[in-house]
Amino acid sequence: MLKLPQTSTDRRHFIIVGVLTLVTTVVLGFFMLAILPIKAQKSVQAEPIAWLFQVHIWLIAFLFSLVVVFMLYSLVVFRRRKNDDSEGEHFEGNTALEIIWTVVPLVLVVIFSFIGIQTLNGATSGGDEVQVKATGFQWSWKFDYPNGVTSAEMVLPVGKPALISLESQDVIHSFWVAEWGPKQDLVPGMTTTLHITPDTEGEFKLRCAELCGLSHWSMLATVRVVPEAEYTAWMDQKLAEQNVQTASR
Amino acid sequence: MRLTSLGLVRGLIGYFVGLVIGMAVVVAGRLLLGMEAWNPEAVWVGGIIFALMGFLLGIGAMSDWITWTRGGDTPLRHGPPEGKPAWTRYFGVDYNHKVIGIQYGVTGFILLLVGGSFALVFRTELADTGISFLQPGTYNTFLSMHGWVALAAILLGIGGLANYLVPLMIGAEDMAFPRLNAFAYWINVPAAITLLLSMLFGWDSGWTAYPPLSLRGPVGYQFMFLAIFIVGLSSILGSLNIIVTMLMMRPKGMTLFRMPIFCWAILATSLIQLTATQLIGQAFLMLSFERSLGMPFFNPLYNAAGENIGGQPLLFQNLFWFYSHPAVYVFVLPGLGVISELLPVFSRKPLFGYRWVALSSLAIALVGFLVWGHHMFTSGYQPYLRVVFMISTLLVAVPTGVKFFSWLGTLWGGRLTFPTPMLFTLGAISVFLIGGLSGPILATAATDLFLHDTYFVVGHFHATIFGGFVFPFFAAIYFWYPKITGRMYNETLGKLHFWLMTPGFWLMSLAQMTTGTMGMRRRIADYDPALGVQNIQFLVTVAGFIIAFSILIMIYNLFTSAEIGAVAGNNPWRSRSPEWQIPSPVPEHSYAKPISVVGEPYDYGLAGSTYIAMAGAGDD
Repeated sequence: MLKLPQTSTDRRHFIIVGVLTLVTTVVLGFFMLAILPIKAQKSVQAEPIAWLFQVHIWLIAFLFSLVVVFMLYSLVVFRRRKNDDSEGEHFEGNTALEIIWTVVPLVLVVIFSFIGIQTLNGATSGGDEVQVKATGFQWSWKFDYPNGVTSAEMVLPVGKPALISLESQDVIHSFWVAEWGPKQDLVPGMTTTLHITPDTEGEFKLRCAELCGLSHWSMLATVRVVPEAEYTAWMDQKLAEQNVQTASR
Repeated sequence: MRLTSLGLVRGLIGYFVGLVIGMAVVVAGRLLLGMEAWNPEAVWVGGIIFALMGFLLGIGAMSDWITWTRGGDTPLRHGPPEGKPAWTRYFGVDYNHKVIGIQYGVTGFILLLVGGSFALVFRTELADTGISFLQPGTYNTFLSMHGWVALAAILLGIGGLANYLVPLMIGAEDMAFPRLNAFAYWINVPAAITLLLSMLFGWDSGWTAYPPLSLRGPVGYQFMFLAIFIVGLSSILGSLNIIVTMLMMRPKGMTLFRMPIFCWAILATSLIQLTATQLIGQAFLMLSFERSLGMPFFNPLYNAAGENIGGQPLLFQNLFWFYSHPAVYVFVLPGLGVISELLPVFSRKPLFGYRWVALSSLAIALVGFLVWGHHMFTSGYQPYLRVVFMISTLLVAVPTGVKFFSWLGTLWGGRLTFPTPMLFTLGAISVFLIGGLSGPILATAATDLFLHDTYFVVGHFHATIFGGFVFPFFAAIYFWYPKITGRMYNETLGKLHFWLMTPGFWLMSLAQMTTGTMGMRRRIADYDPALGVQNIQFLVTVAGFIIAFSILIMIYNLFTSAEIGAVAGNNPWRSRSPEWQIPSPVPEHSYAKPISVVGEPYDYGLAGSTYIAMAGAGDD
């Protein structure tokens, strides 16, 4: 059995805690990645989000381990033994330590601000080769394309940068396709925009992410990401349908 | 004893009489002006305003002031009311800060139970997909009520801690303004009643009440707006009182840096409350005016040319969060103060880096004013603002880190014991750590664009509030229970409470965060089975019920121990703080003689040192 050092400033305490912290960090990091599966994976804008999320997870794993290992170690090693009525060691603080644990987090803040700006640029920029206007109203969605096509589902060609402009007819809504990553509110009286470059084909759900009243939970629309040829065909078909309707009026 | 001799009963009668009179006055006014008699917005608002006045007149919260206007004399009454049992003083206007502290604390606890029960109702609905018993409209009302009732409960709980403890800790006879103190407490009661009455009509925007949604719903909104306005008024008056008390009434020798550390936390909290609360009061008043008088503050209105000649919805969000983010620090700073206060006692060591811990509270309070826009990353404001608020928000990590590391320094090398208050203190650190560390991931705007309005935020927020308020509040209740009642709580039941609630909470917040990353939105009455979160949602519900059950154990413990608990003695924790050097329960006049400070507050382990000296007989 390991004989623990007697004084609290003995270097061996810190070696043990340091090793335990590193081990816990690795275990906790993988555990958290497993229980926090981030869904933003299927657009160009989602990539920096998912990447930054993982960076955070590892930082959280380290800081959590640091505090919890130090705490649990103290609880075990520095607990009061039976029949020990003495007081704890008398030290009131350590200015050098306080400065270190003020400055190191400050440096981390600077680093994360820098990474934060980079990833924010990645998550919010893109082209406008495809343009769609999405209109939200209690409790449904409508999509208008520049060529006059109107649809209840949103169809986008895969790999093409899309600029989605957002308008609300009544209250605040929020445009969110979880797989694509970022969300953007729709504010009455304003036009907001969202850049999305979908990079995976498939059918997704657009869900309103801002509480908008009675049926907020069911304010959904279908979003399809399809090959370009299929997109063009869908657009032609929609145009033809609408022309027939207009002509028959 | 007649029932109406209880102030509370008279207040309630006054409330409902006022309600009827107010409604009648508005109806009469409308008829005189030739308008339609019944307009729910106007009539109910008039009723509520008169009801609030009726309550205060009925209970007599303003009697002394009214007497002053007539030039009358109103000596402060001490002790229970004459000719009535001692307990009756808790149900009427009493000027003793210890009574008011208990009134605040108990009212806060009751509201916490009500707010928590609302959560259990909709958690049950969320245990499975599909709408089973709660229709979406009712669901939204419960969800929204959970938010404001719980937040009002926290504000009252903090009022309880501050009112009971601060005068005792600084050796003061009472608060600086005892009548204002009682008034600031009692306005909360009709406000809470009004808030609960809002459920009769419902409202569905969540606690944030963003317009235009909050301008459209049922008249329940008006009840909520006015109730929160009054709760906010109480915050402002209460914090003013606390600041004056703390700055003007400290004993000889107690410099600011020799105050018990809890007082620093309350000072920082009170500075926020005194300066930020106006913003939400104003914002909610503007919503109320826009609804009842049609003043276009927030809802856009278009002229024939299609230009917006009305309001701007984002203005509300700025006003709202300019209070409501600092308010989060109002909720947690007192709890962090409790942690810093209790750790030295149970470690038998000085608080590590007292000045750093004290100033970190002020730093958090100040930085807290600069971060409100991180709630608006997705709102559509100017994109560069995201960068500004991201950086200011990350800065909060620095003073918060100082607190965590100083706590570890306090534990290190101590002689630790683990009675229930210490367990809850350690539990608070673990839970607040989860809440704190899940913060930066929401502060960096890119990740927030994904996580905003998901259950990840719900998990983060509840971890900060449980770690920063609920756990420390329970630690404080167990810790000061012997000082308040003179008896010890039951240690076994206390530990059972802790070992049910803490793992229950870890499970709840982690599971909430998981569903958030999987795409579960906040504030939805039902969720898509395709998300694959049913099992996890079920776990969250189970964890919620475990927490609720553990709190029932606590209530049972507190009630029974007041009768059968072991007699505690003056200082069962061997604390150096002034309030532990006087008898338990604390006598009507807390300190028989003025105290003076002759040492540092946390010099545990320094032989021969004391913190305070009681003036002996004859050496005034």
